Amino acid sequence: MALASAPPTTITAAPTAGLVERSRALPRRGLERLDLMLLCLEALDLNGGEALVWLSDSLGFGSRFPNRVELWKRRCHNPMRRACRRGDLEIDDAEALMRILCGMADRLYPMVRTLLSAAEPADLTAQRWGLFEGRLAELLTERMNPRRSSVQKLLDPVEGAAERRHLVQSLALVAGAGGYERLRASLLDAAS
Amino acid sequence: MVVAYPMKRSLVYDQQSCQLRVEGLPDLSAGHAVEELGILTGWNLRWTGRPELEGQRSHLEALIAAVLPYARHLVSGLRRGFGEESGPVWIGPSAAGPGHTLRLVSGQNGNPCLDLELDDAELADLVRVLDQLRLDPRVKLPLAVASPRPLRSGEIIRRIPIQRRLAAPVGGVAVLALATALAVLLPPPARQPSRALEAGLVAPPAAPGKPQP
Repeated sequence: MALASAPPTTITAAPTAGLVERSRALPRRGLERLDLMLLCLEALDLNGGEALVWLSDSLGFGSRFPNRVELWKRRCHNPMRRACRRGDLEIDDAEALMRILCGMADRLYPMVRTLLSAAEPADLTAQRWGLFEGRLAELLTERMNPRRSSVQKLLDPVEGAAERRHLVQSLALVAGAGGYERLRASLLDAAS
Repeated sequence: MVVAYPMKRSLVYDQQSCQLRVEGLPDLSAGHAVEELGILTGWNLRWTGRPELEGQRSHLEALIAAVLPYARHLVSGLRRGFGEESGPVWIGPSAAGPGHTLRLVSGQNGNPCLDLELDDAELADLVRVLDQLRLDPRVKLPLAVASPRPLRSGEIIRRIPIQRRLAAPVGGVAVLALATALAVLLPPPARQPSRALEAGLVAPPAAPGKPQP
């Protein structure tokens, strides 16, 4: 009997057949969620901003997002941002951001998993959550409009806990090549 | 002389808490290469500290058909069960806590159904091994996996608890009923005769049938 282990998953190798229609721009809630999930990845990885640019280059989006500023400009379509850009995000840009998100979530999956696992020691998990939430709060305060109720809720230690956990859980479920379709469908929810 | 080639293949997909192993043969009649898997002869799923699961192709398909849509709906924030109640696999939110219950019904008579309580990390591991299997280019099994679709607004509204959904309409109806009751309780104002009539400036209306001068 021949034995073979699974090949490493590659984001670019994800099949595109059977995906939801491409010709649909992300709705407002989808843009918010996409940017928040990217922000969570940055909170998990201290060098997340640079890692996103590096990953976009390695996935073949180097010409689209050659530097952090270009990436930031696309993410500023999130209406929750302090410096928010009007208009829809281009479909190709949104797809590239989604691929980058799935790739980054795949890279950080071990860290995401430890946050979600009930098998880890409770005090260690609480410490990890504390670090993550502190970093996320810093990023939210720095980049998001604090007058928005959704930002205030996310920053609230009690009321925002469920939402923050949902964001991390979503990162675990969209990590890797298979997660792209799930992410795309969920971000288009409000548009249907 | 007949040379027997070791045709049976085994593919392993590993995650931290579970390992999926599928075994089968290439379907040479369909033109599959030797390293590909076109006929599934068996599979098993090993969990850390849990009983090992194994079954036939239909069970694997049922597992994929229940777990992947459940995960997709979780990403949208919708927690509801997937899989047929009478089918071999059902997955849904745990009644005991924030985790997930994977219910497996044995095909052998007399065996009770097995309920596995999974936390979020174990569910994510399971989803990843199933993703690895269905996206593996060496696996040529026609696994029926529905591609994820955006949820309709009717489905999205299920995320909101029914109390919150009903609060506004019930409150509105209650306020309307209260206002109506108060309005009914108020006495109707007494009818005042008009001043012109009192002063005799206007003739009272003629009785019907009487000719006017």
